[in-house]
Amino acid sequence: MPTSSSSSSSFSSAASSSGNRQADVFSRLASSDPEVKLKALREVKNQIIGNRTKKLSFLKLGAVPAIASALSDSECNSILVQSAAALGSFACGFEAGVQAVLDAGVFPLLLRLLTSSDEKVVDAGARSLRMIFQSNQAPKYDFLQEKNMKFLFSLLNSENENVSGLGASIIAHACGTTVQQQVLCDAGVLEKLVILLDGSLSQREACLESLATVLKNNPEAVSRFVGLEAGRYLSSVTELTKDRYPRTRLLSCLCLVVIYNTSPSYFLNMGTKSSLVTTLLELLNDHGQSGDDAALGLSSLIAEKEDLQKLAYEANAIKNIVDILKTGSELHPKRLQGLFLSLAELCSKLEDCRCSFLSLEMLDLLVNALRHKNADVRTAACICFRNAARSVKNLSAGRFTNDHVMLPLVQLLHDPSSSVEVAVLGALSNIVLDFSSPKSTFIEYGGIKQLIELSKSMDPNARCSALRALRNLMFLADNKRKELFYSEVKAQGFVSLISDPEPTVQEQALALLRNLVDGCINSIEFVFDEDGLILDTVGKQLRKSPQAHMAIQGMYVLTNVASGTELHKEAVMQQLFPQPQAESNNFMLKFLQSHESQLRSATVWTIINLISPSSPGAHDRHVKLRDEGIIPQLKNMVNDACLDVKIRIRTVLSQSMSFGDN
Amino acid sequence: RSDDDDDDDRGKKMPVRVVESNAAPQVSGNDPGNRSPLPPSSLLAAGQAFSGTQNVSNQQKEEAWRVNVQIQGVDLEHGYLCGTMEALNVPMADTPVITFWEGEIVDGKNYTFYTGKWEATREDDMRHWSKFPSFAPLQGQVESDGGRQLDLSNYPYIFMRWKEQYFVNVGTDCGLTIAGFYYVCFSCSDGSISGFYYDPNSSPFQKLELKTVNEGKSGFSFSSYELQ
Repeated sequence: MPTSSSSSSSFSSAASSSGNRQADVFSRLASSDPEVKLKALREVKNQIIGNRTKKLSFLKLGAVPAIASALSDSECNSILVQSAAALGSFACGFEAGVQAVLDAGVFPLLLRLLTSSDEKVVDAGARSLRMIFQSNQAPKYDFLQEKNMKFLFSLLNSENENVSGLGASIIAHACGTTVQQQVLCDAGVLEKLVILLDGSLSQREACLESLATVLKNNPEAVSRFVGLEAGRYLSSVTELTKDRYPRTRLLSCLCLVVIYNTSPSYFLNMGTKSSLVTTLLELLNDHGQSGDDAALGLSSLIAEKEDLQKLAYEANAIKNIVDILKTGSELHPKRLQGLFLSLAELCSKLEDCRCSFLSLEMLDLLVNALRHKNADVRTAACICFRNAARSVKNLSAGRFTNDHVMLPLVQLLHDPSSSVEVAVLGALSNIVLDFSSPKSTFIEYGGIKQLIELSKSMDPNARCSALRALRNLMFLADNKRKELFYSEVKAQGFVSLISDPEPTVQEQALALLRNLVDGCINSIEFVFDEDGLILDTVGKQLRKSPQAHMAIQGMYVLTNVASGTELHKEAVMQQLFPQPQAESNNFMLKFLQSHESQLRSATVWTIINLISPSSPGAHDRHVKLRDEGIIPQLKNMVNDACLDVKIRIRTVLSQSMSFGDN
Repeated sequence: RSDDDDDDDRGKKMPVRVVESNAAPQVSGNDPGNRSPLPPSSLLAAGQAFSGTQNVSNQQKEEAWRVNVQIQGVDLEHGYLCGTMEALNVPMADTPVITFWEGEIVDGKNYTFYTGKWEATREDDMRHWSKFPSFAPLQGQVESDGGRQLDLSNYPYIFMRWKEQYFVNVGTDCGLTIAGFYYVCFSCSDGSISGFYYDPNSSPFQKLELKTVNEGKSGFSFSSYELQ
């Protein structure tokens, strides 16, 4: 949005005289003499155009209702034109202005102007209405009402480019749901809009914006659009990505991004994809709003698409974006958000991108962004951190663990914005993975306590993320680190985590437990605290027909415990075959027949450990497993479709044979 | 890794190993563009540790270092893995020497048996792969068309190349080199690993032999992490 220039200084230095002038203008606005009124309107209009400070000051003095009166009471065309223009200017890029204009009841007054016989009046009304419709505060246009649709089409059909542009603007800013899209398409809006593509610059741009809204996430609408005159208009839009006006290039790119995200099959041509990426990259350098929108558009385009990320990477996207960020000039928050999100998408799947990004000395910039006053920027920076930290190579090298980076991240755990909290938890859960490095800055900053706190949050996503972070922190952890956890969470507390109502939270809690009992043999003792409370709970959860992902972690807990002493193995047997057995509630058999190969695999590993030949009770446990039908079940699975499962089963069966089994 | 100054060949005889008699597995519908990554193998996973020796013998001396390997990351989709390698009782170093390595998995999708870099020619490739008994059933196909039609997803051995990237705890002046790379064969069934170090400037066929480590426990234990 254009911001005020230097006129604020003249305002403050001539405060009293301009204040007088302003009061004077007001009395002239209310004059009954049309000439005087007209002159006053022009004055106000000229002062506020592109001048946010003036808009604000006139607003505070009540200019809007005064001008609204002029608009409603007059029949003089010049006055109508000037008051409409002034009101439009108040609304242009200034949310408080939009609010004031709507509150003053201007909307129906402007609509009335559209039916004037004077072209200039119609123009002025249409232009001002377009300004209002740029804002989210614009009245929600109810497309589902017949008369509204008729009115909309009358606008689209108009010869006047501001009026048809208004029709397109209304669509662009008010069409949000699939139902609305459907209703518009059925009424033939696409056919009307595409005519505007061949019109004036302003019509073209309005058309592109509205097309994007109507087509977004709606494959039927896209298919209809592409089918118009055998793809002619898709080609037109593609051509427009090379237009000489940057805003047109941007809007056509955004339109193509929408089409690509909705129905990628129309973009099989690598050349088009490549050109779309490079055009957006070029537009990033535009200093105005187009640059802001291009950044967000780029992140939307490459999201989840490895091939496009690769194209962007090869077109030097990372370096270009980093250079823009490093220019040191104050970038608009929307642009910052878009740039960080684009970097995040680039780093999402490709290790080359992550390494390239991290080699560019970007961490300082990212850390600064963590402190930005805009929550969206902070969130985007966290997401960028999270994705860059998917690089195991860089995690292993301790890239993210110096104080300079860790401290601001940990501080964001208490950010007032919940989207920031979620994003920073995601970043931290990756960054804490340090492969048991002896020093952990995260732990030094009290990270474990904070995560344990968050594991009790009301929000299940926060609980899940916090537990995932703890799990990663405890990956290959030494006893010292595990003790830090045990000092905060005892057996009973841990049982609450495993018994969480949300399956995803249970899964992470069990995965954390799995890591806690891995390592040296003493680690296993934790599940026996307070009379084996934790182990009992694990067994109980597994007996409850859990979801596969949770069951996998649970079985690996049992596997890890069963890698210990005789006592440990016997305790696992107790969980698998509790006495007395309630019906044939043998969850092992169920898991062995699961569609999830990882669950079958985890279950077989438990068996492998239970009958591991080095332990004295192996033979007896083997007998029990055989009698409970487990070994026979495995015999049926020798040709399991999954190679890993097949291999493990063969291990069990060869061990079984060595026990002298028939 | 290996000693910098060796240049003599001391060909070692490979012990005969029993190999499963699988015929060379074939992909059906040989569309190279649509190959899948290899399926997961429990023992080739992040957190798994291996221990054994690297023989660095040459004509002057018999020498072997104890080696510990830990896998830190596995990304089957991209045929990538990485981890650390620790060499103990290295004569010219006071402490164990730890390096960080990255691996390429031969899956027919991301990587093939042909290295195509690191100064390894096709002949070098074939010379090394053929030293693994489990490569024998595949050899014919690889020689004729690069193994385009092989379906490795059902083969109980995984072939990789491991390249050390940097020294973790010593300087580059430690007297050791990481200029070369390892041809590696991993056995899915017992997790044993064998490898041959290749570096045109070092003694050839220095052999790496590792087995899984259970930290003195009676069975296998598995840790895991999840990156968001």
